[in-house]
Amino acid sequence: MKNRTTRFLFISLVGVALLCVCVFTFFAVHMSAQSSAAINQVGTLYMSGVSQQTAFHFENIMKLRLDQLETLVASVSDDDIHTDQAARGELIDDAMARDFPYLAIYKTDGSFEMLYGSSLTVIDPVPFLTALSQGEKKVAIGTNGAGEKVILLGVPASHSLTHEYPCAALVAALPVTYISDNLSLDENDEQMYSFIIRRDGTFVIRSFDAFRSSYFERARAIYEDVNGMDPEQYIEELEAAMVKNEDYSNEFTMNGKRHHLYCTNLPYSEWCLITFMPYGAMDDVVTSFTSEWGTLTIFSGSIILSALLLVFYKYYGLTRRQLREVVEARESAEEAREAAELARKEAEHANQAKSEFLSNMSHDIRTPMNAIVGMTAIATANIDDPQQVQNCLKKITLSSKHLLGLINDVLDMSKIESGKMTLSMDQVSLREVVDGIVSICQPQVRAKRQQFDVFIHDICTENVVCDSVRLNQVLINLLSNAIKFTPEAGQIHMALYEEDSPKGEDYVRIHIQVRDNGIGMSEEFQQHIFDSFAREDNQRVHRTEGTGLGMAITKYIVVDAMGGAVHVNSQPGQGSEFTITLDLEKAVATEEDMILPSWDMLVVDDDQQLCESTVASLASIGINADWTLDGESALDMVTKRHRRGDDYHIILLDWKLPGMDGIATARRIREELGDNVPILLISAYDWGEIEHDAKSAGINGFISKPLFRSTLFNSLRQFADIDQETEQTAQAEARRDLSGKRILLAEDNELNWEIASELLGEEGLELDWAENGQMCVEMFQKSPPGYYDAVLMDIRMPVMGGYEATQIIRALDRKDKNLPIIAMTADAFAEDVKRSLDCGMNAHVAKPIDVREVMRLLAKFIP
Amino acid sequence: MTLKECYAALGGDYDEAMGRLRSERLVQKFVLKFLEDGSYRLLQDSLAAGDRNEAFRAAHTIKGVCANLAFNTLLASSEKLTESLRDGKPPQPGEEELIRQVDEHYQNTIRAIRAFQEGATG
Repeated sequence: MKNRTTRFLFISLVGVALLCVCVFTFFAVHMSAQSSAAINQVGTLYMSGVSQQTAFHFENIMKLRLDQLETLVASVSDDDIHTDQAARGELIDDAMARDFPYLAIYKTDGSFEMLYGSSLTVIDPVPFLTALSQGEKKVAIGTNGAGEKVILLGVPASHSLTHEYPCAALVAALPVTYISDNLSLDENDEQMYSFIIRRDGTFVIRSFDAFRSSYFERARAIYEDVNGMDPEQYIEELEAAMVKNEDYSNEFTMNGKRHHLYCTNLPYSEWCLITFMPYGAMDDVVTSFTSEWGTLTIFSGSIILSALLLVFYKYYGLTRRQLREVVEARESAEEAREAAELARKEAEHANQAKSEFLSNMSHDIRTPMNAIVGMTAIATANIDDPQQVQNCLKKITLSSKHLLGLINDVLDMSKIESGKMTLSMDQVSLREVVDGIVSICQPQVRAKRQQFDVFIHDICTENVVCDSVRLNQVLINLLSNAIKFTPEAGQIHMALYEEDSPKGEDYVRIHIQVRDNGIGMSEEFQQHIFDSFAREDNQRVHRTEGTGLGMAITKYIVVDAMGGAVHVNSQPGQGSEFTITLDLEKAVATEEDMILPSWDMLVVDDDQQLCESTVASLASIGINADWTLDGESALDMVTKRHRRGDDYHIILLDWKLPGMDGIATARRIREELGDNVPILLISAYDWGEIEHDAKSAGINGFISKPLFRSTLFNSLRQFADIDQETEQTAQAEARRDLSGKRILLAEDNELNWEIASELLGEEGLELDWAENGQMCVEMFQKSPPGYYDAVLMDIRMPVMGGYEATQIIRALDRKDKNLPIIAMTADAFAEDVKRSLDCGMNAHVAKPIDVREVMRLLAKFIP
Repeated sequence: MTLKECYAALGGDYDEAMGRLRSERLVQKFVLKFLEDGSYRLLQDSLAAGDRNEAFRAAHTIKGVCANLAFNTLLASSEKLTESLRDGKPPQPGEEELIRQVDEHYQNTIRAIRAFQEGATG
């Protein structure tokens, strides 16, 4: 459409331009032709006027002269001439008086009898004589005795002037110059000149630059072109006109210049007067007029053309804009229509999903509700049967929990949909998050006897800024989905790794991957997995509980709120893999300088990946570690080094190993090495059930997967004789003057209290003694806010232990309830440390009391 | 009998205790205080009463005190007993032996301190 218009415009433009050029060219040519025709006409008119004037003048002169001669003829009688000498003399006198230089009697035989003057001859006597004989007056050309041309004037006379032949006429002669002078023919005028010629072309009077005897010769010699004819043709035409006694007009070119000629017969004679006029000045005027006209034409033509061009250009622009607007309008209309269509479909789809969801939800909510109602009824009916009631209450509790989960999801979703979900960012330890998740998921995993592995790859930045509650929610969603959709004894795998963030140095990119080998998802469902109210294949999944909101919430939290990404990779029957990518800000708090002595360690795990990443983490805290994949080779390695007297400092053993398991391996190692080398058992599970076996096999402690750098450091540092660098930093921190700080020390043993009081008192601290946890809480409650700067808390105390006391203090409604609380206990297992921290304590220090360490920690936590 | 000899007699590490408490005066003071510590009595009473949780706590306290004073022999045996009693577990085989060992080490420690006390005062 656009092209068509453009082509049309272009063709029109070219056409109009061509038309313009043609019309103007035609005008120019036509006008030029017209003007030259007009010049011709004007020239001819002028020339004929001039010629006639000249001819008239000639006639007058001739008539005058002939009349004079006639008078002379009349003045004498017939006889006088012959006889009377006196009369002849009188005639001669009269003639001479009238200024005729020659006078003769022309006889019928064509001879002259001279009355006076030299003898005359007629050049062409026949027509002269014929005319005279017929009684006409005639003029002709002749020669005098000297051979000069003269004009002969003849008047018929019947006198018998001679004896032998009758007299034909009286002839007088005049010099040629007489005519040319009288007619001003010889005026050397550039503009105009005339010849008088005879009909055979010989000159009667020639003027200007003519030197040939015949005009025809002249014409042949120097006329280049006569109005398209050659000179010969022209001469023929001219002769024919002369014979017919007609006027003749033409133009010719001579010496490159155009001339106009006009030929008219002269009366009384056989002569023609040819008048010439060069175009010269007139031509110049016309040429300049023509060129001016041409210029004007071209100029006006170009003005019109440019005006046309402008109009076309404008019109073209206008058309194009209109076209574009039309196209745009159509496109936007189309887009709007598509968007509307899409929106309609989406709305329909969402509506449908919502309806489906509502019906599912009402089913899902009704199921636990039914259970609760039913079980309550059964319990009421069997109120006397405690066993039955207990059973019912258990089921009611389960159903209530499930119902609560459903309601929480729905509330979250409605929060999200109304845009009210916000993040509360705080400093979060990834280690703690993962630890928490693992312990939450353990019971479910164990219940389905699934294999659950957690892998931590090179996590250097453990402390990040994030909303830990929401991050937990996301991880629990992913893991509980994995557990839910993976059959019994399936595998669930969680991995955490870290890389540089494109957002800058202050950020770190965390990838969390949850993989299972469960039922997987179809391609279509993967497209909708993050939609609200979606759940695949209602038939199949109906058995499984849940709202179908989990993934929508997950996606919202990760992508919309945290700016991360979620990727799904799944195949039906093969399993699913979810990867979360988050760019998290690094926590401002600097991590402790985690450096341990350069021990040699052995890591034993059947997973090579875990071994390698653990060895790398150990290397980052200054420990050299070997690794091996099973218990037997580990035993070999340990024994070899033992024989060399170069024992490993610490051995990390996985619980579940192929062949000989961790506990058996530990037992064998103990048999070989004795009790000197600490052995820690790596376990992803709650070790409550194996603790006894492990301890009796000589295992010194447990270390829980995932093996973060800090997990390793915190578990291993208890075995460190204080490392020099740590000591230096410790001293640096302890050097801070804490004197006058008031410390509440909870310790049930008086001796221990005295020791602590003595040692810490020397450091300038003021200590108050609480004999057990309860006293500690009471003393703290009674103190004015801000009175105590910190609490040192023993764990094992009568009446109330340290864990409980800490929890109570933390839950108090006091401004200083978050004062530093540091655990002091003889229990040095990693799990004790963990539990202390879980209860809200800031740090953990092992007995025997190490003043420097206590002071360092106090300095660290007392603001 | 010097304090150092006393430590050697009771199977402790005098240097470690000095390192921690920094002066002989303090070490002596606390070592003598150990005689008055009621934890062992509590352990005995709890075991006799079958209160294993209380027994665990008492053993734990002994362990803590011994750690502070670097009474390493008694520390080792009391630690084993602590672990045996931990979390209110039912009596383990060999626990009697552990109790006997703790008793022996405790009596030995008390004897050594008394001897030192007499030497110091007398």
